[in-house]
Amino acid sequence: MSSNGPMATPATAPAEADPPGLLQRLGEPRALSWIAVVVVIVAWELAVIVLQLNPIYLPRPSRIVVALYEMFRTGGLTTDLVATLIRIFGGFFIALFFGVALGVWMATSVRVKAIADNFIAALYPLPKVTLIPLLIIWLGTGGPFMLTISMLGAFFPIVINTVLGISQCDQGLVLAARDLGASRRQIIRMVLLPSAIPSIFAGIRLGLGVSIILVVAAEMVVGKVGLGARLYLAGQVLETEQVFAVLIVLATLGIVVTKIQDAIDVRLGHWRVN
Amino acid sequence: MPPAPAAAAPAATVIAVEDIGLTFPSKSGEATVALFDVSCRFAPGKVTAIIGPSGCGKSTLLQIVRGFLTPTRGKLRFVRLGAEDTAGAPPHMATVWQAFNLFPWRTIIDNVAFGLEVAGVAKAERLARAKKALAAVDLSGFEQKYPRQLSGGMRQRVGIARALVMEPEVLLLDEPFGALDAQTRLVLQEQLATLVETSGTTAILVTHSIEEAILLADTILVMTARPGRIAAEIVNDLPHPRSMATTHDPGFSVLFDRIYGLLRQEVIRAMATEGGDA
Repeated sequence: MSSNGPMATPATAPAEADPPGLLQRLGEPRALSWIAVVVVIVAWELAVIVLQLNPIYLPRPSRIVVALYEMFRTGGLTTDLVATLIRIFGGFFIALFFGVALGVWMATSVRVKAIADNFIAALYPLPKVTLIPLLIIWLGTGGPFMLTISMLGAFFPIVINTVLGISQCDQGLVLAARDLGASRRQIIRMVLLPSAIPSIFAGIRLGLGVSIILVVAAEMVVGKVGLGARLYLAGQVLETEQVFAVLIVLATLGIVVTKIQDAIDVRLGHWRVN
Repeated sequence: MPPAPAAAAPAATVIAVEDIGLTFPSKSGEATVALFDVSCRFAPGKVTAIIGPSGCGKSTLLQIVRGFLTPTRGKLRFVRLGAEDTAGAPPHMATVWQAFNLFPWRTIIDNVAFGLEVAGVAKAERLARAKKALAAVDLSGFEQKYPRQLSGGMRQRVGIARALVMEPEVLLLDEPFGALDAQTRLVLQEQLATLVETSGTTAILVTHSIEEAILLADTILVMTARPGRIAAEIVNDLPHPRSMATTHDPGFSVLFDRIYGLLRQEVIRAMATEGGDA
């Protein structure tokens, strides 16, 4: 079937009137992306069986799925997942609130910006994992520590993108709002913030990603519960199937978070498309 | 007591610009004189056009009248006409912008209702008034669209509706059709002429177009190249209502030639100084 080739489209145009064959439908990008996943998993499963690999190094996917199910059913993985989610999103929402607030303040006041600028310039590029030892000394290893490390991850990208978004606002819009009688507060709420939303959202994407990394890393270092702790413990006792199972949960978490962000982005940005 | 209808009691506040000058400091030490000794009066119920070469400070003058810029010299006064002229409060003003300046994330109706919303008008009332204003500029049915979905001419009609819904005593038009193509511009000029004539509002129009000035204004202020001063004040008593047919009036040609004669020298002078600056 040469019609699956990329060159064939114009030449075989009349043939496209026929309902697409199975092979053609399998060649569609959406189908292909899932077929690729299935092919890799099947190949993995077969390779482990045929090459008789030691499951400590590489367990079979089917065994990983069983381990994952067992961990949820009896192993308390739900508790770990919930603990990790609370830490990530607790810190993230604190960062979102204070980050946007400080960002607005910095973008609308030259003095506040002058005061905050150097601190942010120093702290933003600092890898936040390096703060874990200091934060443990100050806060111990409990909830406050976890929330702080998560908050630190999301805070700086959100502040910086809020400042950026607001300072890029079309000054014509601000003048128009003033002309129509808007007060300073109304201009911030009804003009500056909405115009900065795409930029703030870019900050949220970056920030939430860092929060996830930091919480899992912190859990690996000091946690007793949480996905990171579970991952680390499973590795220590060479339960490779469980290691993979936790990785699957983390990857799924990443996918879900990204999809939710995409959906919110589309909803908030509907005025940008025709 | 309910407010009297606008036609019975026209806003009787004269905006008086007295010896106004505006100088922008610059880093090189050489200050830019944007306006120099400008004096003029904007009469209530009349349309005044300000015309002049690029960079002569006509938009700057409008911003001073609006109160967004403070002159470095001279005074802006609001004179309430009566048996005895008294100092009055600044009249309510609303601006139509060259760049439209619509809020892209708001629907058309929410754009038009913006001024009412910040003034605390209840939702049902402000939407009803915005809907009426949109109908007045022939945009019924576009309430739920976003600015991106409209053509330039339609967007500026939204801009006009957004200003008119505030029922301003003074309408400021800052090169309102400067960003539009020539044909759209002609049609909108006619429509705006009708809107302004029927509302009887005071209007100040900043424009590059001699035609536009003659079509819309009762008084035309011709400005010099930078530093901007008033070169001439020309009274336009061509009969109302005016339309494209007005351009065939012999009086139109006379006015046009007179204004063009004044502007020509100034434009050449402006081009020469621009060359000197560079």
